[in-house]
Amino acid sequence: MYDFIRGPMLWISFIVFMCGLVFQFYKIFSITGKKEAPSLIRKDANNKGLAKLKKYLNKALSSVALKGTILGTQPFVALLSFIFHVCIIATPLFLLAHNILLFESWRFRLFSLSESTTDIMTVVFLACAALFLIRRIFIPTVRAVSGIYDYLLLLVAAAPFITGFLAYHQLVDYETIIIIHIISGELMLIAVGLTKLGHMIFFFFVRLHIGSEYSFRGGSRSWQ
Amino acid sequence: MSENGNARIDNVRIEEMLKQKKRMRIFLSLCASCGFCADSCFLYRNYKDPRYMPSYKAINSLGKLFKKKRKVTRLMLEEMSDLVYGKCVMCRRCYCPLGIDISGMISWARTICRTQGVYERYDIDPMGRIKKAAV
Repeated sequence: MYDFIRGPMLWISFIVFMCGLVFQFYKIFSITGKKEAPSLIRKDANNKGLAKLKKYLNKALSSVALKGTILGTQPFVALLSFIFHVCIIATPLFLLAHNILLFESWRFRLFSLSESTTDIMTVVFLACAALFLIRRIFIPTVRAVSGIYDYLLLLVAAAPFITGFLAYHQLVDYETIIIIHIISGELMLIAVGLTKLGHMIFFFFVRLHIGSEYSFRGGSRSWQ
Repeated sequence: MSENGNARIDNVRIEEMLKQKKRMRIFLSLCASCGFCADSCFLYRNYKDPRYMPSYKAINSLGKLFKKKRKVTRLMLEEMSDLVYGKCVMCRRCYCPLGIDISGMISWARTICRTQGVYERYDIDPMGRIKKAAV
């Protein structure tokens, strides 16, 4: 069992994950076209290089602009969401044990954080996930749009962290929990390409590449 | 509020119209149901009723049409019209942290309803409707 989930199953999940990312990207890319350049442009002398950046930062960081964002209206949840997303990417990538396994297999490793740091990050992540769950159950607006699917995906995202935490501290039978940990991690990777977790690609594509009132910058493509 | 209450629903046309907006299918499949959009809707801020939330309106109008495909009934469209006409003024101020164009989806749901003869009759009992909305 252990050999299977560390061998072929891992490859399957990696391939599905990569294909899923490419598929998500292609799906969005295929329904966008090159943005048409306007034939008449208003010239702005102070709109180049550093001056442009300064203007942008002034606008983005002014108290009025901040008020109109999520950071202004719901600062606590926005911060929670930020920490949640940083931890979900950074913890597994920079975990010492993962990097050792990577080194043993391919003689290649990433920078790794200390074990106590990643342990704290895991706990912080789980706390964020728990708060998200509470928010989903008790806040009427979020409850109104939540289905069983949303709860399930939160579980899919949190499961590798719960099982990883249990395995690291050897709180339950290690052999079993590490197998569940690997399976849940593989499941999460597979889910990225096929479910709502695809917002991993969608967010950056829409916000950075599509020029509309919803993008951070000009953008080079538009919806077809 | 429909003009010809007994006319059949043209499911083929609805399907064709849904196919024109592939991006909206992607939008609906990726909505993280985070509920952040609520605060951007001034109707929600006034009534504090989750049914006024932009994502609720989009999921329960266009989202339902995508789900039902060829099995859309007139009753469904009538219920939807209360959401897309009665609970939205198309001000396009809804804000989604993922960059989803929510108002575009509500607008397209309105267009589909209109092709089937389901639309808001502003000339019939406007005061009654306003009172109903305020409850």
